[in-house]
Amino acid sequence: MTAAPGTPEPAAGHPVTGLDEVVHQRARLGILTIAHEAHRVEFGYLRTHLELTAGNLSKHLSVLESAGLIEVEKGYEGRRGRTWITLTAAGTTALANEIARLKQLIARVETTDGQ
Amino acid sequence: MIAESLSAGGDPRRLLSEVRSLAHRVRLDQRMTWVALLVLAGVTFVGIPFDWLGMTVRCHPDTSCEFARRGVLYYWPPALLLAYAAIAVSYVRAARARGLGARVLPYVIAGAATTVVFTAAWVAASLYFPSHPESMQQLSYWWLVLDRLVSPWSMIGVALVVLARIERNIGLLLFTVAYLALVLLVLPMNEGWGLAGWGLQARFAVPQAISGAVLLLGAVGFFTAARRRQR
Repeated sequence: MTAAPGTPEPAAGHPVTGLDEVVHQRARLGILTIAHEAHRVEFGYLRTHLELTAGNLSKHLSVLESAGLIEVEKGYEGRRGRTWITLTAAGTTALANEIARLKQLIARVETTDGQ
Repeated sequence: MIAESLSAGGDPRRLLSEVRSLAHRVRLDQRMTWVALLVLAGVTFVGIPFDWLGMTVRCHPDTSCEFARRGVLYYWPPALLLAYAAIAVSYVRAARARGLGARVLPYVIAGAATTVVFTAAWVAASLYFPSHPESMQQLSYWWLVLDRLVSPWSMIGVALVVLARIERNIGLLLFTVAYLALVLLVLPMNEGWGLAGWGLQARFAVPQAISGAVLLLGAVGFFTAARRRQR
């Protein structure tokens, strides 16, 4: 079971059940993290720092855009085309929820290990 | 590298650590700390002749002197506002060239606010003290520290605390705390400092030159650190 993107999980239940597959995918989590920290990030920066091919990155961006977690803005600077990615409010919430779930998972694992 | 670590398994601990290292990488790429310090050092050095030439000094037969630092009041408010605008433009341009947005707006707002506070305090003091000269004799040590706090040199430090916070820059925070301690507690910014026989203008120039030199050294230090990180 997965939660809808950006929807907080119910308080009860194992943290894994609330994981959002759109956000939990590693590359997409990286995109959301960078976009959140940078406010606005260019396609080339994401490609370089996530070490993804242009095609692969575009696919991940499409998934995030379809889920309403990012906005993609295409434009030109001089003759050079540039694509800027901005996190939406739903994206910010989804990222915060994902990080909260990861922390819950770690706490759960540490509790289990200690028993 | 980030991609290797991102593909190295779904361990939540590792994922969280990767998220943190990505966020840290972005923050490092957004920083232009040395530019901010360089601009502020430049403004401080250029302000010295304005203070020198704009100061009116009237000495009495009993060797006491009255002075008014008109140069500070006329130079610093527009100079600080221009400096913060220049810093903001530098941050935005550099971040944009790297493919990132900039997080400098809170610093610029803090800079503008501290400029307004300093200007209001100095205008109020210049209106009040000439008609109440006896109150100058009764000021305690902490009033002198407060007077230094609302000076442009300290207000630079107060705004830098905001920059350190938004950049989560521990190095800048430590530098700023040391700088504020210097201009608030060590350098007599509002009394002057120098050898016997020096004029009042020269005595006021010394602490300003030292604060400018500290900002300049900070700019060199942060520039060197940024260059090392890029290698």
